[in-house]
Amino acid sequence: MMNQGESSDASTAVEKHQINDTHQVQSSYFPPNCAVASWSTQGENGDLSTSGYNHDQQVDPNLKNGQDGTNLVSNGSTSNPGPANLVQGYSGYAAYPNSDPYGYSSTGYAAYYNHYQQQPGQYQQPPGQYQQQSSQYQQQPSQYQQQPSQYQQQPSQYQQQPSQYQQQPSQYQQQPSQYQPQSNQSYPHHVGAYQNTGAPYQPLSSFQNTGSYAGPASYSSTYYNPGDYQTSGSYTSGNYGTQTNLWHGGQYATYGSHQYPNYTPDSTSAYSSSTAVATSQYQQHYKQWEDYYNQTQTEVSCAPGTENVSVSIASSVNNSVPSGSSGYTASNNQMPAAYTPSWRPEFSSSDLTSVQPVAVSGSAPEGYWKHGASALQNDLPNSVEPHAQKPPEVTPAHESFQNQQTSTFSQGSTALYPASCQFSQIQQSSFQAGLQPSEPLDSRRASKLQIPTNPRIASNLPSSISKSDKDSSMTSTGAKPAYVSVIMQNPNQKVASYEEDDSMLKPGMFPKSLRGYVERALARCKNDRQKTACQAVLKEVITKATADGTLYTKDWDTEPLFPLPTTDAFNKHDTQLPIPTSVMPKSKSPSRRAKSRWEPIPEEKVVDKFANISYGTAKYGGWNSKQFSGGKIENKDHFGTKFSLSDQKGSSKNFTRPAKRQRLGEDLNAGDDGDISSDSDKEQNLTKYYSAAIALADSPEEKKRRENRSKRFDKGHGNQVEKNNLRGKDVGAGKSYARRASAVVLSRTFDESGSRAVEDIDWDALTVKGTCQEIEKRYLRLTSAPDPATVRPEEVLEKALLMVQTSQKNYLYKCDQLKSIRQDLTVQRIRNELTVKVYETHARLAIEVGDLPEYNQCQSQLKTLYGEGITGCHMEFAAYNLLCVMLHSNNNRDLLSAMSRLSANAKKDKAVKHALSVRSAVTSGNYVTFFRLYKTAPNLNTFLMDLYVEKMRYAAVKCMSRSYRPTAPVSYLSQILGFTNALPTSESSDEKEVDGVEECIEWLKAHGACLISDSTGETLLDAKASASSLYMPEPEDAVSHGDASLAVNDFLTRSLA
Amino acid sequence: MAAYVSMGEAHRRITEYLNRFSDAVSYQDGKTLSRLVSVSSDAAVLVSLAEALNTFQDANRLFRQSEKYSQYADILLPMFRALQSYRLRNLVESYLAFEKASNAFLQEFRNWESAWALEALYVIAYEIRILAEKADIELASIGKTPEKLKGAGSFLMKVFGVLAGKGPKRVGALYVTCQLFKVYFKLGTVHLCRSVIRSIETARIFDFEEFPVRDKVTYMYYTGRLEVYNENFPAADHKLSYALTHCNAQKEANIRMILKYLIPVKLSIGILPRQLLLDKFDLNEYSDVVLALKRGDLRLLRHALQEHEDRFLRAGVYLVLEKLELQVYQRLVKKIYIMQKQKDPNKAHQIKLDVIVKALKWLEIDMDLDEVECIMSILIYRNLMKGYFAHKSKVVVLSKQDPFPKLNGKPVNS
Repeated sequence: MMNQGESSDASTAVEKHQINDTHQVQSSYFPPNCAVASWSTQGENGDLSTSGYNHDQQVDPNLKNGQDGTNLVSNGSTSNPGPANLVQGYSGYAAYPNSDPYGYSSTGYAAYYNHYQQQPGQYQQPPGQYQQQSSQYQQQPSQYQQQPSQYQQQPSQYQQQPSQYQQQPSQYQQQPSQYQPQSNQSYPHHVGAYQNTGAPYQPLSSFQNTGSYAGPASYSSTYYNPGDYQTSGSYTSGNYGTQTNLWHGGQYATYGSHQYPNYTPDSTSAYSSSTAVATSQYQQHYKQWEDYYNQTQTEVSCAPGTENVSVSIASSVNNSVPSGSSGYTASNNQMPAAYTPSWRPEFSSSDLTSVQPVAVSGSAPEGYWKHGASALQNDLPNSVEPHAQKPPEVTPAHESFQNQQTSTFSQGSTALYPASCQFSQIQQSSFQAGLQPSEPLDSRRASKLQIPTNPRIASNLPSSISKSDKDSSMTSTGAKPAYVSVIMQNPNQKVASYEEDDSMLKPGMFPKSLRGYVERALARCKNDRQKTACQAVLKEVITKATADGTLYTKDWDTEPLFPLPTTDAFNKHDTQLPIPTSVMPKSKSPSRRAKSRWEPIPEEKVVDKFANISYGTAKYGGWNSKQFSGGKIENKDHFGTKFSLSDQKGSSKNFTRPAKRQRLGEDLNAGDDGDISSDSDKEQNLTKYYSAAIALADSPEEKKRRENRSKRFDKGHGNQVEKNNLRGKDVGAGKSYARRASAVVLSRTFDESGSRAVEDIDWDALTVKGTCQEIEKRYLRLTSAPDPATVRPEEVLEKALLMVQTSQKNYLYKCDQLKSIRQDLTVQRIRNELTVKVYETHARLAIEVGDLPEYNQCQSQLKTLYGEGITGCHMEFAAYNLLCVMLHSNNNRDLLSAMSRLSANAKKDKAVKHALSVRSAVTSGNYVTFFRLYKTAPNLNTFLMDLYVEKMRYAAVKCMSRSYRPTAPVSYLSQILGFTNALPTSESSDEKEVDGVEECIEWLKAHGACLISDSTGETLLDAKASASSLYMPEPEDAVSHGDASLAVNDFLTRSLA
Repeated sequence: MAAYVSMGEAHRRITEYLNRFSDAVSYQDGKTLSRLVSVSSDAAVLVSLAEALNTFQDANRLFRQSEKYSQYADILLPMFRALQSYRLRNLVESYLAFEKASNAFLQEFRNWESAWALEALYVIAYEIRILAEKADIELASIGKTPEKLKGAGSFLMKVFGVLAGKGPKRVGALYVTCQLFKVYFKLGTVHLCRSVIRSIETARIFDFEEFPVRDKVTYMYYTGRLEVYNENFPAADHKLSYALTHCNAQKEANIRMILKYLIPVKLSIGILPRQLLLDKFDLNEYSDVVLALKRGDLRLLRHALQEHEDRFLRAGVYLVLEKLELQVYQRLVKKIYIMQKQKDPNKAHQIKLDVIVKALKWLEIDMDLDEVECIMSILIYRNLMKGYFAHKSKVVVLSKQDPFPKLNGKPVNS
């Protein structure tokens, strides 16, 4: 409905407008009492929190109208969009706080909690208070009821986590100090891309806002709410947690007992501190929220909340309270999920009502916001007062924070709105999707719980892994853990440093020239807005370049700069874009880095895809999808990764993940610690690069190229993504989560890969040189770039081969080892005699145990290796190949071509000759010859023939029972059919012969032959009777999937080996 | 290489070609058109055009000059390049250009309602295959992977898609199918034939008999060969016989190709060709095989197989011929039976294994009792002999009625 352009145009004005408007609106709206009234009624009605919120709006028709109007205005006339949004959000807030902070708070909380049901359970095993409140308010709780189980589980999580918690606090404290500085720095320089994203933008907006806002008192009420609101999902909980920590000294017990009042004040304090620090984060949150709205934000919210919390803690109170924070944050995460569900009903039911207006307006997010706000507002009131009490410094922070939020909000909302406006329904749908998450969350938790116990993970995850594990476990409990863990590892890094961490992980992906390009581009900017706009463009440019694979090949030094973008257009983008970048880094947890070189997934693509998916359901405009993909999605990814991967996906995900991480863990950690500063710089630049790349991509040739490439990627990625989706669907309710998770995976991988196109990669330069000295290594199918630290160099591989050859262990073990050797050879692109030897060894082993699939793999590799002129046992394998083709594939054409490929020399080879004779025996059905050849087979030909023996025997007996009359002696059969030696030579063979006859009798009986004994006691085959009674018994070891080697027993032995 | 051509002359030649091309299209003259696109032919028009193109480098300009020509620029520009490269023996280049031209032509062809240009399309389908084969030879000679024929295969598949629907163009589908067969057989990817065959044979709207005879013969030849691979002898016999009877009697090379597969098939179902036929079509590699069958001379058969092993392997009939061994055994036992009958009619139906072993030894084939017993068992099992084998006494007891049933056009039981 709305033109993006319009909105963007308005955007500049919007920020200020918003602020001002909001103030005005607030003042005007401020219908405190009304709000209260509405509350009570609503509470009675049923959906307490949500409905209540809606009601509030409804109750205050003016407000609603105003909001609606504003929205409409914004939509229609770009000029007001921002303000409108703000108004809405704020208005709701304002009303609440004024009405009765305290009462509300309690009520709100209750509702809140109810909504969040899950959270309460997790956090506090929910205080009687909460529950009581909830019960009062009650009716919400369809969700609630479900949650009880969760609750129970959570406690356990809690207990487990304490250690983590304690660690975190320290981190927090450290972080704050750094954090703030960074933000400050970022302002002037714009340097820290991520920080900038957060900082530059917000700062600006916030500053302006501050100016307009001036009045702290009004602020507290209005702004606070916003802040709370945001927090509400994630923050509130987070705040709570922090607060609790602060207040109660981080005692868990106290937690449970804590009452709201305490909370609120705490939260406020936390807010104040957090706001300042977290501003950048807020934007992220915001996005997260959006995501949330669109999909399931629960996860996202968590992360932000955690961040905030941590920050707040650090800044406001140097937390002495170690344990609580993490747990709380976690709860926050979950909270959001709960939240969404509650929303849903409102939307659907009240679409037309005040709430919907928001949604209709196209600002689903806004709507959410409001709702959230309302819910939050409840909290806010409480917090507000505390604020007032709080030191002046705090308030400023708040202001800025609020401002930022508002600005982001308006921007974000505007951006979203245009697209989303049309699809209120869609939004709803997305909502629902979001709602679903709640269940998934539960599952997550469950999985989380499991995780710690999971032996594999535990074993696999060393210290470095601990991060991931913690993350996962944390996540499970708190969802937030990822952050925490990161922090923990890098004590020096701040919470804010998340970004840094991420960025760090994203090492020098960009060429220097590109950096120069970005700097040039940014240098032209006259003001911050332009800068942000430029950054957006740059980001685009870079993403495109990466997608094209020209990022590294392009001569950035000579690349013309793009025209300065109109800042207006970019305001929207700014909020979103910067965030994404900043977020992006986060997504990379230490482990990721290692992964990706090999997976040249272009970021853009992945993101887009992802966006499409997530948004596709929501049916956001294309615009959104792109932008969001960049921004929101990534955010999601980050959070999602943490959450979804570790938590949602549950054990399975965790399973694989941790293992991988483990490898990298130590290195990465070390690297992180050391490189923080430089990495962060790079990060900063990243955003710019991206935008620059995008801009570049707009040139016609670029476009062309890009199209070509993108087609390719579309395919691959599409498939991948789809697969992921499918997986996600399987999960059921957790659909969106799973998606997100998958997307995260994708994004991660490509993140690290620097999003190059495959063919642009200089494989020689990238070829891994292994450094691992371990001789033994389990095979693990690579899902990402190989880590040199886990790849063995050639010398070690040689030893490993020797080890396997001399090993006494079973085939499964050897197969596993050989596969890992093969993998290491492949990733290092070693193709020489050793390679041939490895494949030959493996092929022989496979033949010995009749593992044809594995043998075929080796054989086909050997074929090309021999073809390259590498010497080996060519003849031996030519014979195997012949036998295999004739005995098992039964394809005449293949057989013919295999035969015609044999050179005259080859036909003289003993093994090949034998194979050829076997072939002719088989084609003519000459069982006598076959079994003679069977006894005299060279090399491993016997084993291959083994697989055909049964068939041959059966055919022979069938043939004989038809042609022999009246009988045939079994002793003769056993001799002819290879049960005993055809040519008994020594006396000692007598015994054997008897055994052979016995065996033959058994076999004949098993195949339905009629046996009789003659007068001398010799067993005879009654040919005539047998002719009709023979049958081929079902193989005893038959498996439904046709591959006995995949039987459960084998699998177990394999995993235990 | 080429004689010097003046600029003016070059210009004149190119323009003339362009005129002829556009005239052919506007008059819907498929024949002329097909002659104009036959790059690998030595038609005078094309040779002189190639010379002119060498002189007159900027053919682009001509297209730009006139609306009349520019509409064909997509086809003709690459076509010129293909022609030029072909004449310069730059075959890979030529193939690539021609493929481009062909795609453009196919695009045009799609838009032409009637099937007037089928002939030209045939030529293009043929040319692209020929060029691809040549390009592959060139590629292989410089050590690169020959892949052009594969590319031509997928282009032909595209052409097939254009023709395979309803309508007048359907008639051309079989020609393209045959070109595809040729590609697939050459590439050794005959399994790809299946989809094409299915679409030809399942299309009820279009009677197979309505296709041009030449295409039907080719089609039957290739599908017959496929049946030989599958050792489905009755079907192979049917298809190859169809091809043989419909093949133009003048095309002896084609008849020979058909016979090359038909003879082994007929042999396997017990029908022997006359020596005259083998002589006439120079298929003497089979004469020893036939003789061995007539005589029951196992040694001769094995010798013949060994002598022509390469040829038989390449043709894909080796395994078929190898299976004739059983018939030779049958013949051998029959001979023994006849001789015994002459000596003592009463005991003729009992043949001792020793006798057979002795006979084989006389043929210089060394087999012991067990092996021969096995062979006898198989002969009985496969219904080449009626009777039974008495293990105790090591005697083959033949039925008194028709102990050696003739195949009479039926394959050996398996």
